[in-house]
Amino acid sequence: MRAYVEFAKKAFQNNITYRADYVAGVINAIVMIFVNICIWKAIYEDEQSVDGVQFKILITYVVLSFLMQCIYGMDEYHIEYKVRSGSIGLDLLKPINFSAYVFSYNLGILVFRIVMQLIPALIVSIVLFKMYPPFSLSMAACFVLSTILGYLVLYNLNFIVWISSFWFYWTFSLVTIKDAAVMILSGALLPLWFMPQFLVDFINLTPFASIYYVPITIYLGQVPMEEIAMVMVKQLIWALGLFLAGKVLWRIALKKLVVQGG
Amino acid sequence: MEKKPLYNIFELLILMTKYIKLSLKSILEYKFDRTFITIAIFCREMISVVVMYLILARFVHIKGWEYDEMFFLYSFLFLSYSIFVLFFAGMRDFASMIYSGEFDRYLTRPLGLMFQIIVSRIDLSAGLGHGIVGIILFTKTAFSVGIIWSPKNIIYYIVILISGAIIQASIFMFASCFSFWTIKTENLRNMLFFNARRFSGYPISFYPGIIQKLLMFVIPFAFVNYFPSQFFLNKAEMNSFWSGYLYLSPAVAAIMFVLVYAFWKQGVKRYSSTGTSM
Repeated sequence: MRAYVEFAKKAFQNNITYRADYVAGVINAIVMIFVNICIWKAIYEDEQSVDGVQFKILITYVVLSFLMQCIYGMDEYHIEYKVRSGSIGLDLLKPINFSAYVFSYNLGILVFRIVMQLIPALIVSIVLFKMYPPFSLSMAACFVLSTILGYLVLYNLNFIVWISSFWFYWTFSLVTIKDAAVMILSGALLPLWFMPQFLVDFINLTPFASIYYVPITIYLGQVPMEEIAMVMVKQLIWALGLFLAGKVLWRIALKKLVVQGG
Repeated sequence: MEKKPLYNIFELLILMTKYIKLSLKSILEYKFDRTFITIAIFCREMISVVVMYLILARFVHIKGWEYDEMFFLYSFLFLSYSIFVLFFAGMRDFASMIYSGEFDRYLTRPLGLMFQIIVSRIDLSAGLGHGIVGIILFTKTAFSVGIIWSPKNIIYYIVILISGAIIQASIFMFASCFSFWTIKTENLRNMLFFNARRFSGYPISFYPGIIQKLLMFVIPFAFVNYFPSQFFLNKAEMNSFWSGYLYLSPAVAAIMFVLVYAFWKQGVKRYSSTGTSM
């Protein structure tokens, strides 16, 4: 366990050396929130029938989504790099669980992003964009829990894509296509309630809504109290399902691994 | 020291086709990979188009902008970016040429430096990825927004696309020039460029005055797509801008290129190798 904490610490320190990157991350998030708010403002100017309350809900949705994007960022090419450089051979010789190592590494990044990106972006957002506070204190707790589950769903989905580097060596394309699917289908850029019914029906069959849409709607109080447990169980099932799929794929990948020189 | 050009235009064109052939050869070496990357870039760029489509499917129009008009406005960004990465990718990747020492090789050749930098790179995957999105948007909208494609309009359109490509290339080149002074500006550049591009996906009239000014005079994306599309669409909101802006894009491109070229000359003068040349 100690070893894994050290891995996480190392990831944290690695990230902190790139100061320009994290400042850029914060500014990017704020700009994106701002662009989206401008667009929604323009939309609502036309729609006279929509009252101000709904607009504010939308603003809160947009802000939350981009704040979550801040902390959901992971090192997409960590495994790919190890496979291609051959250093994965050394990692596999070490008395550690490789999957657990990758996870702790990403947890280090998560902590870094919470401290250095989420908190500044959150403060700016509260001051600039006047988002709603959580619907209630218990909803806030549920939101945090649901966001953690959302992170796990995304992590396990990512892990499957990362493992594909055992076959492809370069995973840029797959990672990019996966990102595109996540951005649209998870409701990160557009709330599901604005989407056509057939798309929503499709999304409900996939794990994507668990990543952004579910936590945000819990925050907004749009999920009735008695259904919250249900949606979270669904998130948990997706996280576990993807985790198991990743495990199986990992087994197969290990048999496939050929290290060139290293 | 001024010297007379070593080659005439005709010879330069032949050289250029030779360079392009070489680049294409190295790109097409990995056909499967490149196709896959092109598809990935296409998907990535489609995200914002799909989101815009879903919003408009629901709300029909935003601030008087209809569905077709919005996509027509957007198509300029993709097409000009596509031209930029197909023909001026060297200006984008220039900083990495300095770090890798590739630039030193160019210095030793009896050929214009800027020419070598421009012809040495073609980003076919990004060019196609962006280009296909642009062509889809253009063909879907160009004939339904009430544009008469007279020869004059077609010439204006082509000039605008090239101007847009040069404006974007100049922004990249400007940022890259700092690497002569060993200052890394890639993060700053990407942040400014891609955020400005995000803003420009929608009409600048959606934004508060300061952002509009920024997109007109600092990172002049307004001249890549907003004013050109106003030339064709003639929307009422154009009244709040000077009508001369409609024709200014080529001038903006020329001024930016000249300024960047001067800055670049300064950099070359000051340049000392990183010592990593191969």
